[in-house]
Amino acid sequence: MRFWDLLRIANRNLFRNKLRTFLTVAAIFVGSFTLTMTNGIGDGMRSYVESQIKNFESDSVLMVRRKIERPEGAGGSGPREYKENELNGEDDDGEPFDRTSALVTVPQMDTALNGVTNVKSVTPRYSIAGEYITVDGQKKYRAELGMLSQGITQKTEAGSTITGDGQIVIPIGLARALDEKIENLIGKTATVAYKDPTDQLKTVPVKIVGVATKGFMTNTSSFVDAATAKLIHLDQKHEEGFDKFYAFSVQLESADPAKIDDAKSLLESRGFTAETMADNQKRTSDALGIFKIGMSLIALIALLAASFGIINTLVIAVLERTKEIGLQKALGMGRGKIFAIFSLESVLIGFWGAVLGTVAGIVVGLIVNKVLVTSYAESFEGFTLFVFTLPSIAIVMALVCGIAFVAGVMPAIRASRLNPIESLRYE
Amino acid sequence: MLEAINLSKTYSSDGVDYEALRSVDLRVEAGDCVAIVGKSGSGKSTLMHLLACLDAPTSGSVHIDSIDTAELTEKEKNLLRNEKFGFVFQQFFLNGRETVYENVVLPMRIRGATASQTSADAASALEAVGLTDKALKKAKDLSGGEKQRVCIARALVGKPQVIFADEPTGNLDSTTGAAVENMLFSLNRDKGITLVIVTHDDELARRCDRVIEMKDGRIVSEKRGEDVI
Repeated sequence: MRFWDLLRIANRNLFRNKLRTFLTVAAIFVGSFTLTMTNGIGDGMRSYVESQIKNFESDSVLMVRRKIERPEGAGGSGPREYKENELNGEDDDGEPFDRTSALVTVPQMDTALNGVTNVKSVTPRYSIAGEYITVDGQKKYRAELGMLSQGITQKTEAGSTITGDGQIVIPIGLARALDEKIENLIGKTATVAYKDPTDQLKTVPVKIVGVATKGFMTNTSSFVDAATAKLIHLDQKHEEGFDKFYAFSVQLESADPAKIDDAKSLLESRGFTAETMADNQKRTSDALGIFKIGMSLIALIALLAASFGIINTLVIAVLERTKEIGLQKALGMGRGKIFAIFSLESVLIGFWGAVLGTVAGIVVGLIVNKVLVTSYAESFEGFTLFVFTLPSIAIVMALVCGIAFVAGVMPAIRASRLNPIESLRYE
Repeated sequence: MLEAINLSKTYSSDGVDYEALRSVDLRVEAGDCVAIVGKSGSGKSTLMHLLACLDAPTSGSVHIDSIDTAELTEKEKNLLRNEKFGFVFQQFFLNGRETVYENVVLPMRIRGATASQTSADAASALEAVGLTDKALKKAKDLSGGEKQRVCIARALVGKPQVIFADEPTGNLDSTTGAAVENMLFSLNRDKGITLVIVTHDDELARRCDRVIEMKDGRIVSEKRGEDVI
C-alpha cells in the first residue's frame, strides 16, 4: 500500500464523524494557540533585549568584578548581626551584603592584572551622576550619565562613537530636542553639569561626537569617555583620593578566544569574575530561554490534556471500525499498515490543530502588537511583544504533531493487533 | 492447490477447551468447486479460515501449492491472501460511505498496485458482475444483491486463484441469491477460479462439484453435488 493511499484513507476516516474530529482538533487548537503565544512573547522579549545589547559592540573587552563572598547570614539563614560602619547594599539576588567589599582600588586592579598578557588598555568603571546637559545656551535638559569603556563602540544614528577624551554620545530624543537636524549637533560643545558632595553644581565641557541608536539604555543615558567619567567621579566623592570602583574593563590586543580564556582564568584565580559582552549576552538570552521554556510548559499542559482527547477519539474509532479492520486484515493488509492509518489520523488531527492554532496565534499576536504600538509602547521604542520566527513556528508544529503521534500509538497498536476472524464477527 | 493434513483446531476460553476441528484431511484441486456444509458449530467456518490462512491450526498443517503455511511469516501470509485468495462474506463488509469503485479496489490498494493497473482491473471486475454503471455510487445506496455483487467484484479484482465464500447468499432472497450463485459458478467454470463455499443451504451445495459434510469438527462424508438429496 502506498503512503498516499494510507494518507487518503486516514484523511477520509477523519471526515466520517465530523463533529468528533472537529472537537478533538479544537482541543489541540487551544494548546497550539497557547504555545504559539508563549513562544511569541518569549521570542519578543529575547529579541528586544538582544537588540538593546547589540547597541554596544566589543569582542575583546572583559568586564571584571570582584567575586563576592556571601557574608554569613545572607541567603536567608537568619538575621544578620549589625556591625558599625558596615555599608549596606544588596546583591543581584536582593540579599544584603557589604557593598564596599566589592570595591576595587587602582593598585588592587594592577595586582589583579599582573601577568595578564595582551592587555591593550584598562579602564575603571566609574559610576557617575549627572544633573543637566545643554548646548549653546539653550534649555537645560536632565542628563543621565554613563561611561563607555575603551574598546567598546556604540552604534550611532549620526556622528561616531567616542574616540578620545572629553567626548559624549547623546540619546536621540535629547538630540532632537536640541536640534531638529541631529547632524548639526556633531562637533558642538555641550555643557554637562553635576553636583559635588556639597551639592554645588559643577560643569564640564564635552564635545558631542555622536547621537546614539535607539535602545534600552541609549534612549535615556548619555555616554562619556573614561577620562571625563574619572574627572566627574573624583569630584563627586566625599573622601580625598576615593579612587575606588566596582568594576573595570580590560581591552585585550586580540579577540582570540584562547587568549580571552587565559585572561579570564587568571583573573578568576585572583578572586575576580571576568566576562565579555558575548558572555553577558549569552547569560541574558539563557535566562530568557528558561523563561520561555517555563511559559511553554503551561501550554504543554494544555496540549497534554488535548492528547487524551485524541486517544479517546481513536479508541472509539477502533471499536467502530473493528469489522473494517478485520476485512482489511483478511484481504492482506499488514499490521504496519493498520498502525500507520491510525497513526496518520492522529497526526492529521494534531497537524490541523497546530496549523489553526499557530495561524490564530500569529494573527492575534500581530493585532496585539499593533494595539500596543499605538497606545503604550512609545516609551519602549523598538519593542514588539510578540515575535514569530519561522523556526519557532516549525518547532511548535512538529511538537504538536509529535504529541499527537504519541497519543495515537496506543489506539493504533490496538487496531493493528486485532484478530481478523474475531473482528469480522464483532457486533 | 489446497491441502489440509490432520488438521485440528482447539479454542480455549476460561480453561475450557473446545475442539472445533478434529484431524481433518482434505485436498482441493485447482479449479475445484467445493461446498463445505454442516450445522452451525460443525467446524465448517473454522476449516475455511484455516485453509485461507486467516487462522493458524493447533496441530496439523495446511499446504498451499505444496508450501507448508506454518513456515510462512505473517507478511508472507498477508501477501498470499492478497494475491491468491478472494473473499465473499455473508455480511458483505462494505464501506457504505465509499463508492462502489473504492470498495472494489481495496485489495489493489493493499497490494500497492499502480493507478492504471488498479483502474483497469477494477473496470473488468465491475464488468464481470454487471455493475460498471454503478461504479461511482455510494455502496450504501445499493440493494442487497448489488452489494454482494460488489463483494464478488472485490474478491475478483486481484485475479485470485481461490475464492472463499462464507454463506454468500445467506442475506439474500432466493432470486438475487441465485443470481449471485450463478456469478460465482461462472467464475469457476469460465476462469477456472477454485471455489470454496461454506453454506448450510442444500440448494447451493447441490450445484457444487464436491460437497463436504461436517459434523462435530470432523468430515463425515463427501458427495458429488448432484447426489445431495
